[in-house]
Amino acid sequence: MRINQQVYRFLNSEHLVPAVFIILSFFAWQFSGLSGTFVLNQVITRFIRDGILVLSLIIPVVAGMGLNFAITVGAMAVQTALLIVIGYQVEGIPGIVLVIIMGVFLSALLGYLIGRILNRVKGKEMITTIIIGFLFNSIYQLIFLVGFGTLIDVPNKDIILTRGIGVRNTVDLGMYRDTIDKLWLLKVGGIELPLFMILVVLIFAGFVFYILRTRLGQEVKAIGSNTETSEVLGIDTRMIRIKVMILSTVLAAFGQLAYLQNIGMFDVYTAHLNTGIISCAALLAGGASIKSAKIRHALIGIFLFHTLFIVSPQAGQNLFNNAALGEYFRSFVAYGTIALALIFNVKHENK
Amino acid sequence: MKTILEISNLKKSYKGIVALNNINLSINAGEIHGIVGANGAGKTTLMNILFGNPIIHETGGYQGEIIYQGKTISFKNCKEAIDNGIGMVHQEFALIPDMTVGENIKLGREKTFAFTDRLFGRQFSFIDRKHNDESARQTLKQLGISLDPGIKIFDLSINLRQFVEIAREIDRNNLKLLILDEPTAVLNKNDALKFIEILRGMSKRDIGILFISHRLEEVQNICDRVSVLRDGKLVAQYERGEFSINTLARDMIGHIVTKAAAAKRKIPPRPIISFKHFAVEMPGEEIKDLDLSVYEGEIIGLTSLSGHGKLALGYGMMGIYPIRGEVCYADIKLLKMDAKENILQGIYVLPDDRQDLGILADQSVENNIIFTGNQIKNMFRKKSLLPFSGFIDHSQSRKHVDKMIQDFDIKCTSLNQKVKELSGGNQQKVCIARALTVDPRLLFVAEPTRGVDISAKEKILHMLLEINRSRNTTIVIASSELEELKRICDRIAVMVEGRIFKILSPDASDEDFGLALSGEGGVEHEKF
Amino acid sequence: MRNFNIKPPQIIISLFLITLVFLAYALEMNLVILFNESLVKLVMNGVLVLSLIPMLNVGAGMNFGLPVGIIGGLLGMCLAVNFRMTGLYGFFAALLFSLVICAVLGWIYGLILNRVKGREEIAGTFIGFSFIPLMNFFWTLAPFQNREMLYPIGGQGLRPRISLENYFNNILNNLYVIRLGDIEIPLGLIGFFALIALFLYWYFKTKIGRATIAVGENEAFSKLSGINIAQTRLLAIMISTIIAGWGICVYAQSYGFIQLYDEPLSMAFPAISAILIGGSTGKKAFIFEAVLGTYLLQSMYLFTVPIANAILIPELTEILRSFITYGIILYALLVRERRRNMV
Repeated sequence: MRINQQVYRFLNSEHLVPAVFIILSFFAWQFSGLSGTFVLNQVITRFIRDGILVLSLIIPVVAGMGLNFAITVGAMAVQTALLIVIGYQVEGIPGIVLVIIMGVFLSALLGYLIGRILNRVKGKEMITTIIIGFLFNSIYQLIFLVGFGTLIDVPNKDIILTRGIGVRNTVDLGMYRDTIDKLWLLKVGGIELPLFMILVVLIFAGFVFYILRTRLGQEVKAIGSNTETSEVLGIDTRMIRIKVMILSTVLAAFGQLAYLQNIGMFDVYTAHLNTGIISCAALLAGGASIKSAKIRHALIGIFLFHTLFIVSPQAGQNLFNNAALGEYFRSFVAYGTIALALIFNVKHENK
Repeated sequence: MKTILEISNLKKSYKGIVALNNINLSINAGEIHGIVGANGAGKTTLMNILFGNPIIHETGGYQGEIIYQGKTISFKNCKEAIDNGIGMVHQEFALIPDMTVGENIKLGREKTFAFTDRLFGRQFSFIDRKHNDESARQTLKQLGISLDPGIKIFDLSINLRQFVEIAREIDRNNLKLLILDEPTAVLNKNDALKFIEILRGMSKRDIGILFISHRLEEVQNICDRVSVLRDGKLVAQYERGEFSINTLARDMIGHIVTKAAAAKRKIPPRPIISFKHFAVEMPGEEIKDLDLSVYEGEIIGLTSLSGHGKLALGYGMMGIYPIRGEVCYADIKLLKMDAKENILQGIYVLPDDRQDLGILADQSVENNIIFTGNQIKNMFRKKSLLPFSGFIDHSQSRKHVDKMIQDFDIKCTSLNQKVKELSGGNQQKVCIARALTVDPRLLFVAEPTRGVDISAKEKILHMLLEINRSRNTTIVIASSELEELKRICDRIAVMVEGRIFKILSPDASDEDFGLALSGEGGVEHEKF
Repeated sequence: MRNFNIKPPQIIISLFLITLVFLAYALEMNLVILFNESLVKLVMNGVLVLSLIPMLNVGAGMNFGLPVGIIGGLLGMCLAVNFRMTGLYGFFAALLFSLVICAVLGWIYGLILNRVKGREEIAGTFIGFSFIPLMNFFWTLAPFQNREMLYPIGGQGLRPRISLENYFNNILNNLYVIRLGDIEIPLGLIGFFALIALFLYWYFKTKIGRATIAVGENEAFSKLSGINIAQTRLLAIMISTIIAGWGICVYAQSYGFIQLYDEPLSMAFPAISAILIGGSTGKKAFIFEAVLGTYLLQSMYLFTVPIANAILIPELTEILRSFITYGIILYALLVRERRRNMV
């Protein structure tokens, strides 16, 4: 028993997972033969691209609701806003402002809905958020692949498929590409530091930090630690859980906006699909668990996870002469990290 | 003196079962008002009503009027009660273990930076941690404790947790009425003294205190008034100096007129099972150090106030919770508690929580009765040439179940009726029938008559007697129904705080039982 | 079966199905062919749905980790094809191989799920998800020799779709087919399905089967009654995994291809939604519910394909399919948990 406990403590320590990632990344990087500068630049790009999405997961974890795979819904909310703005040809600054306003409004609404749903499935939040994500994905497809052009008339015919029904698979966001990403670009040697966007991510990190240290944050922590006791202490746990989901979904909407503008191309039907899994895996890679997550876990996690993500296909190519193996490896890492977190954390919880 | 709480004609029932009946009670500012009562007297219900526990509202609210500070109140949740200046110190500690002492004391009332308050509103204003910790430190100091507010709760000892919980309540400026639920149960002597000093200090600040405790001596020492509850009724109320511990004990139990259900007899002291330093880690109902010999052929009662360990024994025997200590059954030491092994050895346990542990609600009466016998002892098996088939021989099992239904008068439409459709009493009969099917030598029963109507109660008690007399099955009954124990038991063991406190004869006086339940008048018990 | 009552989702789907039948009639489609196909579809998907029953009944929840069993079955078939076993002999060899492989996989899967009690569903989802890329390594690197299975020149490892043309394509589908006019009833196929259903029926009548149901219904009760919870769960999970392996064998022989790599990724969800449509609560399931649900769902899909094509939006089928799948699972989660919270 004693040895077992020590093993569990070791497996649960927040340094183990990051350490494994560092080792794996290092070797994969060595085998990939990619230059350090290239990898670093790529990781920085991923940092500003995925950072806010990963941050949006923290508050639900602190509230004891586990990993929120339904951040895809927030992503879809902002994509909806974007498609509407493009479809109705609102351009320039008013367009961006409109996207943000509509995105926030829509994601807050959906977050409220998700919160209500999760209040009915206490203890099964994670599987429910996965299903919610999939369900909303089909609703989203229904609207844009079937609804647009039939029930909903869209003035901008450029984004509609030639048959006149449904939005194209990709919509160009050329007007946004390389605008704010290149703002305050600092070059150190070969490394490009987009200071403005890094600042934006850090501001969002600061926002999460701030929220967790407000009265609301105190209550969130309390219900995350023990729901029944919190109830007795006069905390409206159901309302707090709804607020947590609203915050998370809205943050995810901002995150997806940052993601899309960075890529500059908008894969209408696939851009949001993996955000949930990849972001969750990144958070866990930074040392978070399904019961506790801190901002540093998110920030470190993005770096570690994406380093591995970037180098593994090339490493697979060089090692086995087969890039696909690297691809498999990284899917395995993404899913496996989450699976392991689930298996070991539950044990920890039962103690 | 000003009255802060006035309860009149308070009534509450859960699904027709009366929990509180016509309670009239008033509490003055600056008064320490003791509430004593045995299990099921209505203490918890009273607390829940005053503190706005949602369960009251969900089960249909209450009748009667509660006037608090001149206004009629009816809280739907704890928050409303807290906002109105009612505080509570919980027996099970309502502290958030992952948060620090300071955070716990200040939860919901944190001091924040004023400008963020104006900027973002109450909920989103930034907490001034330093200020809060300092203020928490001051509050703790008032209690005479120097404790770093940055320590997390789960690193604290139980005693200190109690004080943190008190500190949280004292820290509130609007506190007018404080409810204490068994607050000193976990404290050692010195800490308990200190604690009572603190209570006296609070009462000087005109806070009304409702002090719920089973420690009669403590109640006698510090309370200005004491109310005794029994079976949901307020049976007595005394001013300080008007009562002794013995009067309280007698009022708590009431005068029980029992007609023994069976003739008295002498049981030879030949132990069938004996426990030495036996401990069961059942949360909330822990057995700490049990020494007990159960004699072959007797019915022994096991009683205690709730939370003192009477229910844990059976669960411990079936390996549901971790155990320590030594158990000798039929002269053989039981090394580990394995349910299957123990059932084969002739030990069977009927749990108190019938709905969750006692029945397969969705299955038929027949399946419920034969389940254990079939699974463990391979009874009612169809003879078959095929290996592994193990079908049930329904002709055999139906005969058996029909007999059980007849013998014990189980009211069901047929043996195929689902058990969840039966009444509580008949479900219990099904449980006992299942136990009988296994034919145990030693039977543990917990709260056999809980949630059962009067006529079924009689039947169940007779079933137990019948099993004992005709089959010489030794029975250990854990129950808080003292009256029933007195009727059928040969001996009654009273447990206090996880230990056997005294073993009494069923003829012992009400006063003796009252005192024993409260842990008073004993030698080995550390006295306050 | 016992106490069967019709629930809202079944009514909705049935009404939808009736509408579709009328629509298909109006569009002058051949209803008899559609009916014939619906029988094939029932069995093709039905075995996978049946495989969920033991796990549901032992209280391990909906088996979102279905890919574990599916991969076992795929491996079994790959072995049979690799050894060039053909016809019924090949098919039964595949079943035998997958039986062994799935028993081992199911045992490991069960051990893991026993550790994560109460969270089987989310853990199962990710165990399934992460097992797939792991097996992708295997498909790529394993030393299979049959040229027909391997990538043509330029690739490494097994190809994503292995044709069963020369092995056991449609072997059950064409076994003992009875023709009544235009109606074709594939007795062999349905017989195989019935055998598995019968096995499950028998299993739940045996002593261990009754213990299985008791564990699922009330674990604490069973523990007090001396049932070995871990073992009972393990056995049920193993049976589930084995039947899932067989399920993919039946599916593949009907479809004509072994689909490897990421194909099993989302196969769990339609199967789960089928049993839920059939009326299972997501906590307990009867064989009848699995059959009914599969039939309703599969026939509905069958009808939507030509209709969606007729109205020029072919994607509609797929979208509708996933909408119904996830909608019904979410519905079941909500109803089940509400019931649990009310107790």
